[in-house]
Amino acid sequence: MNISEVRTQSKKKVIVEPLLARDYKRINKNRFWFDWKTEKGNLVYKLMFKDSDEILGLISLIHFADEQRYEINLLAVSKENRGRTKMYDGIAGNLIAYACRLAVKLYAENGCVSLLPKTELRTHYMRKYGMLPAGRQLFLEGLPLLRLLQKYEV
Amino acid sequence: MKNKTLAKKYTDAELAESFVFRTRLTTRQKEDAQKELAEARLKNKTHLTDKQVLYAKVLQLRFQMEDYSNSDAYDEQLSFAYFLRQYINLSYKVNKQFAEDMNLDETELSQILNKHRSPSEKTIIRLEIHSHNTIPALSWYRLLEKEKEHALQTDSFIRSQETKFVKRRLAI
Repeated sequence: MNISEVRTQSKKKVIVEPLLARDYKRINKNRFWFDWKTEKGNLVYKLMFKDSDEILGLISLIHFADEQRYEINLLAVSKENRGRTKMYDGIAGNLIAYACRLAVKLYAENGCVSLLPKTELRTHYMRKYGMLPAGRQLFLEGLPLLRLLQKYEV
Repeated sequence: MKNKTLAKKYTDAELAESFVFRTRLTTRQKEDAQKELAEARLKNKTHLTDKQVLYAKVLQLRFQMEDYSNSDAYDEQLSFAYFLRQYINLSYKVNKQFAEDMNLDETELSQILNKHRSPSEKTIIRLEIHSHNTIPALSWYRLLEKEKEHALQTDSFIRSQETKFVKRRLAI
């Protein structure tokens, strides 16, 4: 998994790991917008450079085993990596791809990742990550999910 | 509505590349959303070809192998032979056919599967080629490495055998 530095277009290796209890102390609203302590009951993962412990993005997932599905409950990219002035590109995509990896690891071709989008962002998620519409939800399963795994070299 | 502060600062496309926001639904809305998703998934399922299903299963195996190799836990069941057997079972009814496709002696394959022999580097490379690099040689190799690491750490017999050959030890 890689993210690219916007200025140089060079790729840097990243890893995604479960968030540890002690990590909550260094996650603040200023950098990750939400209060992530509310996610302690969910599966929370952090994205970091392979050679550093600086957190660049966070994702909170809910596992619906009976539906072979992971729901993205919350995701945030660090402040310096958002918008026009961002330093690195691809953090959110890699986190979503990691959720897809979890789904495939447990359920192979039946694995699914979904989210409940804000209406204004719906088309952007579809365009950027190849998500499919399902009423008020969006989801990845089958070919679009496998494509996302390939795109982000998971 | 998404947060107004963020909406002023970022475009919708930028927000979608940076956030997934919580959405709170009523119980009824949740039930409806779940139903809609189930219906959409059912329609989508028919679009997968046999090749794509096989690809997903091979990927599943790779992720299981990699996560096990990277974990601190050791499980005797999860050996190279176990994962190779799983791999073969994904697309072969008999091992003989797989051995033929890999240009491996059937006896050699049998010995690997029964843990009587370690696979050669060539075999590991052939496995990578056989899966179109879906499972890299390194993923197979790390399973072997983990087994060897465990054996090295826990083999007391070899320690007792080798002690007599060390004539003098460091004076520490």
